[in-house]
Amino acid sequence: MSGISALNIAKDSLISHQTAINTTGSNIANVNTTGYTRQRPVFTTNGTMDVAAGLVQMSVSIDQIERVYNRFLEAEINEQIQDFGYSETRKEQLQLIEIIFNETTGEGIDDLFNKFWGALEDLSSNPEGQPERVALLSAAESLTYLFRSFSSDLVAVQDDANAAISDLVTQVNGKLASIADLNEKIAQNETGTGDTNVLRDARTVLAKELAECIDIQYFEDSRGALNIFISNGLTLVESGNYYTLDVQANAGNSFYYDVVFTDNPGVSINKYITSGRLAGFMEIRDTTAAAYLNDLNMLAATLVQEVNVQHRLGYDLMSNVGGDFFDPSKTDARTIAVSAAIIGDINKIAASETVNGDGTNAMYVGRLKDALVLNGNTSTFNGYYSSFIGGIGEDVASANRICNHHTDLMNQLNIKRESISGVSVDEEMLNLIKYQTGYSAAAKLCSTVQELVDTLLGLV
Amino acid sequence: MMAMRVSDNTRFDTMINNLFAVQDRYNQLMDKMSSQKNINRPSDDPPGMGRVMKYRETQAAVTSYTRNVDSANAWITMSESKLTSVNNLLVRAKEIALAQSSGTANALTREQAAVEIEQIFDEIKSLANSKYGDRYLFAGTKMDQAPFSSTASAATIGTALTADDNSFDGTVASGGSYSGSVNKTYAVKIVSSGAFGAATYQVSEDGGKNWGGVTTMPVGGNITLGDGIDLTFTAGTTDLTTNDIFYVHASAEGYYHGNGEELFVEIGKEITFSYSISGQSIFTDKGKGDVDIFATLENLKTALLNNAPNDVAAQIDNLDAAGKQVNKCIARCGAKANRLEVAENNLSDLYYKLTELISKTEDVDIADITTKFSMQQIVLQASYAMAARIGNISILDFLR
Repeated sequence: MSGISALNIAKDSLISHQTAINTTGSNIANVNTTGYTRQRPVFTTNGTMDVAAGLVQMSVSIDQIERVYNRFLEAEINEQIQDFGYSETRKEQLQLIEIIFNETTGEGIDDLFNKFWGALEDLSSNPEGQPERVALLSAAESLTYLFRSFSSDLVAVQDDANAAISDLVTQVNGKLASIADLNEKIAQNETGTGDTNVLRDARTVLAKELAECIDIQYFEDSRGALNIFISNGLTLVESGNYYTLDVQANAGNSFYYDVVFTDNPGVSINKYITSGRLAGFMEIRDTTAAAYLNDLNMLAATLVQEVNVQHRLGYDLMSNVGGDFFDPSKTDARTIAVSAAIIGDINKIAASETVNGDGTNAMYVGRLKDALVLNGNTSTFNGYYSSFIGGIGEDVASANRICNHHTDLMNQLNIKRESISGVSVDEEMLNLIKYQTGYSAAAKLCSTVQELVDTLLGLV
Repeated sequence: MMAMRVSDNTRFDTMINNLFAVQDRYNQLMDKMSSQKNINRPSDDPPGMGRVMKYRETQAAVTSYTRNVDSANAWITMSESKLTSVNNLLVRAKEIALAQSSGTANALTREQAAVEIEQIFDEIKSLANSKYGDRYLFAGTKMDQAPFSSTASAATIGTALTADDNSFDGTVASGGSYSGSVNKTYAVKIVSSGAFGAATYQVSEDGGKNWGGVTTMPVGGNITLGDGIDLTFTAGTTDLTTNDIFYVHASAEGYYHGNGEELFVEIGKEITFSYSISGQSIFTDKGKGDVDIFATLENLKTALLNNAPNDVAAQIDNLDAAGKQVNKCIARCGAKANRLEVAENNLSDLYYKLTELISKTEDVDIADITTKFSMQQIVLQASYAMAARIGNISILDFLR
């Protein structure tokens, strides 16, 4: 055994520890980098030497810089983040809807219904009174205005969700392109000697962001490429190739967007998107808000129908047979309005039951407040509306609970991921001390070998 | 057991999440503190929200009913006071009749008495024509003219009237002689449009409330409504059209021109309340009435002017009966007022109960919320203190 070989060992050790310190440095530097996976140098012994006593392990090298991560945990996170994206989108959108229908202040449709019924009662006790007629018209106009305004606010939520769907599709396409690009680079580098850790970190982040937008399935093939599919098995990314999505206005759904593959624009894939933000926006747009609109329309249509029927049974102040109180051609919440004839002449309000001008018909119209005319003749107008609001409150409360649940799960998983892949400065400091000690020891080895050599040379 | 690695991100993320959670709870409490309401949006308590809306609806209805009770009450109080005055005047008239029917009276006193009776007649007439607001107290539902006139008129059929928006532009005239015992408003409604001989119509004898069978308009345009009333239509350029309305007021002989209907308001869920007493039952011998008060006074005056003590005495019984008739109506006013008082008490009880229920459901319990708020404040302070400290501790503090 020569002194020179010991010098070689010392050199390898110095280089290895230097590399280890560099790795520690990179971990410390990236302590706040999103998606950064901590790296760990893997020391291995290099070569052996035969001596009389047996094999002696020689030297050291760093075999690889390993990314410390748990593939199954990443998969679990990508699974969860889809549900998280879906539930958070629903929560946010439902909260917007809840603001529209906030009846807690007592200034919503419910209150205006009450004012409308009250105005009819007042008119019944003074049928010729102009102030009573004006008050009734104004109560009815406020009520119809609020119907129209709530309806258009709901449609605005739908329109915004629709625009968000188009934006998300653009974002998804960007991520698909980036993932395909990274797939390509990772494949090239792994066949060579290049380091793919940074590329893989970037790809993991992109996959996670993608999963938050749309529910995906994926696997990593033998070449290290991440292949991604939507839930019906159609490919989004395959190695370096990707298939972009697009939106198409659907004439059968108020010209709202269907999501399609760019190369197959005729076929909607809406039904295969069952989770993620995209599905959340589609659910709000096509199901939740649409159902609320339907309920509101039903309420408006029934109001127009019932009030008009009773109003036509009465007589106005000029002894005419009562006309329609609400415009009979406008029977949904978006358009509901008091009929032009009544707006033009409040004396056309048919408050009387006879040509003599009593107030009994106004009382009969007012009695509709207690009539069971909705929900298969089981609900009054106010009853129907308050259970409608209760339903929205329940939907929001449940969306909040579900979202909180998924947020908690995501937090737990992130903590788990961080506990495996996250950087701990304390740990890195201790590693630094460890590697520094190793480095100092190797340096000491160097100087010892040098002394040995000096001693040897001194003999000459 | 191997300890779990705690990365720096975990430490900070956990801390921030916890801090947010505490701040969120703190803000929710602050919301409730400042609004003093437990329910600030429907999702805070969906069933509670539904209950509050139901309570508010009932409360609004109760407010309407209360307003109706108030205005009905004013109407009745007014009616009662007018009728009490009428009663006093009738008592005076009876005194006069008693005095002037005795042998001590003579032609001169009777002539003076006749003047007083005439004044009593006028006063009662003006009381009977009293208004509340713009509406006659004792006209039934026919408000287009003063209900009582100074002279008795024979049974009359008014001119035929048309609704403003009728399409038919021909003429219509009433005719015949009225044989009904009480005042009525007959209405004719065109059911299907067409020329005479094709158009169909319905007749109502109660002003349009209830309708009879559908009949075809005869080619000649002459129809009989009932109680001796005829209408004659003369074609114009536009045919009779669906919902054209024609009506005619018919009065039985006497002083009264209103009708026997009563006025209604709602004073509870589907509880209608009649708050008026028609002049017909107070002052006439038609419908529910027994004596025609104005005729009695007129007869008394004539008897006095004729210096006919027997004729004067003959009116004493009638005046008695008239007093009873008016008193009966005053008693009805009293009964109505009592009923309203009960209703008003119930409504105001209900109103306060509802206010209490609403408050219980949506208002915060101040003591409770203040305690919770202080507690949350301490938690928040603790969280801040912890957050400030956690960032400071690291192994770096111990390395030199």
